[in-house]
Amino acid sequence: MEINKIIESGLMETYVMGIATEEEVQKVLSLKKEFPAFKDALEQLEYDIEVLAQSMSIEPPAGTLAKIEHEINEIQRRNQAVQTAEPESRHDKNDQENKQERYIEVESESNQMRVNKAWKWVFIAVFVLGKVFLASAIYFYLENRQAQEQIKELKIELKQKIR
Amino acid sequence: MFKAVLNIPSAEPKDIRWFYDQYAPMLLGYINGIVQDHQKSEDQLVSILTSFVKDVVLQEKSRLNIWLELRQYAQSKLTLFTAKDHHLKPNQFVNQGKLDLLDDLQKQIFCAVYYHGKSIPYLAAKMDSDENEIRNQLKLSIDKMRRASGN
Repeated sequence: MEINKIIESGLMETYVMGIATEEEVQKVLSLKKEFPAFKDALEQLEYDIEVLAQSMSIEPPAGTLAKIEHEINEIQRRNQAVQTAEPESRHDKNDQENKQERYIEVESESNQMRVNKAWKWVFIAVFVLGKVFLASAIYFYLENRQAQEQIKELKIELKQKIR
Repeated sequence: MFKAVLNIPSAEPKDIRWFYDQYAPMLLGYINGIVQDHQKSEDQLVSILTSFVKDVVLQEKSRLNIWLELRQYAQSKLTLFTAKDHHLKPNQFVNQGKLDLLDDLQKQIFCAVYYHGKSIPYLAAKMDSDENEIRNQLKLSIDKMRRASGN
């Protein structure tokens, strides 16, 4: 008897219309759980409101479904792209961190330098060639000086002959 | 071809089609009752159905009766149109359906609640009436239309 009074009170209508207060919503939900008659009445009202909406429906223009499907697929494609990009960028970051960890910075304290043994022969060759060039330079310098002196002597001899 | 190449799972086309066939005409009728402009209503229909399918249908988050949830969702997306002070006149552009069965007061109350989500206290204050009277008139208007449908 009590439940019929509640059903007739208009509480269900405000709930189904979406204008019920939070308190009213809680009351409807608990009554729905407690009383099968209330649950049936509420479901019947929900169905009737749907039928009422059907009577006021307007057929959408052709191509509307295609637009919606296209937009949904676009959104999903974008979400997929974001999801795949996120792990890649995370992976790159980890790689950089790993590289930094692999190389340890060491500050050398010794003044000595270690060189491969093969360089020994190169240094010897450079040294010998250096000596050869130096000896040749001295030799040609002396030769040149001697030639200059001879030219001078010849010039003097020529002048004396002319007089 | 692109879907196969990119290996992207698309939304279930059958589900969307079923959902669209079932609810798009009802939703367009409802949006048109709020927006009162055919072109704007059609644009809103695409936008609202897309986001509802993405947010609720594909996520399987629906808890209520789906039409009630969709209607409330649409109302929340159309606050630009519903937030303005309601002038309490029945909408001219609405596909009247069973609204013709209601008297002027019932029509005013029903449209203010159904399309604009106005609360009982708001309407009582606006119409200088008692809250119980508004609630009663709302129930009477719904009962009238239900009876006309044979329920």
